[in-house]
Amino acid sequence: MTSDTGRKQFWKRSVAKVPGSIQHVYGAQHPPFDPLLHGTLSKTVQKTQTTPVKLKKVTTFQEFESNTSDAWDVGEDDDELLAMAAENLNTEVVMETANKVIENHTKLQEQNKFQETQQVEDQSVKLEELPSFISSDSKIVKSASESQIPNPAGERHSLQRQQSVPHQASAALMGKSSEQISLNTTGLSEREAFRLEKFRQLLSGPNTDLDELRKLSWSGTPKPVRSITWKLLSGYLPANVERRDGTLKRKQKEYFAFIEQYYNSRNDEANQSTYRQIQIDIPRMSPETLILQPVVTEIFERILFIWAIRHPASGYVQGINDLVTPFFVVFIGDYVAEEEEVENVDVSSLPEEVLRNIEADSFWCMSKLLDGIQDNYTFAQPGIQKKVKMLEELVSRIDVLIFSVAFLIWKMASKFEIN
Amino acid sequence: MAKQYDVLFRLLLIGDSGVGKTCLLCRFTDNEFHPSHISTIGVDFKMKTIDVDGIKVRIQIWDTAGQERYQTITKQYYRRAQGIFLVYDITSERSYQHIMKWASDVDEYAPDGVQKILIGNKADEEHKRQVGKHQGMKLAEEYGMDFYETSACTNYNIKESFTRLTELVLMAHRKELDGLRLASNDELNLAELEEDGRKADGTANSKSCWC
Repeated sequence: MTSDTGRKQFWKRSVAKVPGSIQHVYGAQHPPFDPLLHGTLSKTVQKTQTTPVKLKKVTTFQEFESNTSDAWDVGEDDDELLAMAAENLNTEVVMETANKVIENHTKLQEQNKFQETQQVEDQSVKLEELPSFISSDSKIVKSASESQIPNPAGERHSLQRQQSVPHQASAALMGKSSEQISLNTTGLSEREAFRLEKFRQLLSGPNTDLDELRKLSWSGTPKPVRSITWKLLSGYLPANVERRDGTLKRKQKEYFAFIEQYYNSRNDEANQSTYRQIQIDIPRMSPETLILQPVVTEIFERILFIWAIRHPASGYVQGINDLVTPFFVVFIGDYVAEEEEVENVDVSSLPEEVLRNIEADSFWCMSKLLDGIQDNYTFAQPGIQKKVKMLEELVSRIDVLIFSVAFLIWKMASKFEIN
Repeated sequence: MAKQYDVLFRLLLIGDSGVGKTCLLCRFTDNEFHPSHISTIGVDFKMKTIDVDGIKVRIQIWDTAGQERYQTITKQYYRRAQGIFLVYDITSERSYQHIMKWASDVDEYAPDGVQKILIGNKADEEHKRQVGKHQGMKLAEEYGMDFYETSACTNYNIKESFTRLTELVLMAHRKELDGLRLASNDELNLAELEEDGRKADGTANSKSCWC
């Protein structure tokens, strides 16, 4: 490990929190003091010594590392398990099952006259607009690096000079009044306002450039355009502005038709364990103040049950529940005053139609997200096993990284906050 | 600086989803209780050092997801455990019935000589009780395990049950421990003794982790 300075930067915070009085004596602790990891410590000691730092109960990286470094050893039979997982999950079978369900469902839909000419159109949209930032790892890297390369054609600059789209147009896109939007814009820094404007230009169409939108979103999506951006990037909303309204309506109908069709079966014997697991998990989700509202609990139960029943190769798996929350919170956010925390919203006070939209949108966006990671949840979880294997390989190359990754995962898992 | 511990080993918590495995663990290691805990995804662990008969025992307690889908992952941890808690919820007959399945998984995947105890958690919820204490005792007897009814909520029998399993593991490894008493300057790592004894070489700790 040569990039001493880089590491110093990265762990700056935790280093600062280590009081100067700590003197490492080799062999005095278990695991032994690791000069590699603590390489930056001695330099900072002198600086911090003059100002005594109170030893706050913070979990620093060092603490984490010394607490956990004796927790692992390499398992020799992981390869075996991985092979087993790969064997047990026949992708074709999974796909076939999924397709069958979709096929059956489509037939039923046609009988119910929910589907008209849009079907064909929708399929073509799907192909074009699969959300690469969600479904493909390699593209993440690609777009991240691309975004740093200056655009040779100067496209961005010309974009900046373009006349801004009237607020009304973008407001209509989001189903909000233009006053609401301009209200949200006040108090933004110049840079934020500029970014927001760029988003609005992209979103206003007539066809949103999804690649551009994805690039722009890498450094975060401004709140006023977050929900529509997420819907677009997940592949739920079509890039074509004119088709968005129709799609939303149709998808909403489709979702509620699922509920009509399947939801009564939640207490059937075949579905009991699925529904029970969902009911066990929802009350344990965060933020409690939001999820525990009966109306929200019911929405989550429906979304998760319908998804599970329509994805028999996976079914409901613990953890999927947490994938609904971000969408739900962002979509609710559209109807909540800027300064109000979504967690404190009385959801039952929202109009029924709004709630139906939010529910259907959350369902579809979560479905889109899961489409790309379903092998994390199928039998033997080959997706997870593969990722663990990859992480292991990475870790064996860069020793220090392992702890930082573990530390971050651990931090995130233990303190998952919705914001 | 004093040695941080004399002996290190691993315990494992298994049982149906929602019986309170994570709550037991949090109560024991941090003396905290959260009535609604996020569901455990895959595996998690916490550590604590306790003193048993003057021996400082560092225990890693591995907490597992209860849902069946995660069992391919969680079963990988059985093999490395020296002690296992089989946990059910006294307010759930179903979770009690499933102990049979958990026990047979232990037989299949855990090392011979692994120590087990049976835990009936949520003992504070007497009004919702579906499994009598005698049923728990009977089942434990059948399997030759110790049995505790516990409550993470009221901190009932938590320390007792964790200490008991720790003692059982210590007893099962008496031989190694006698060796420890003779040469008490060395740390004894049961976990590593039982595997390939890969000790840190002193300069860099290169163990891998994937939690």
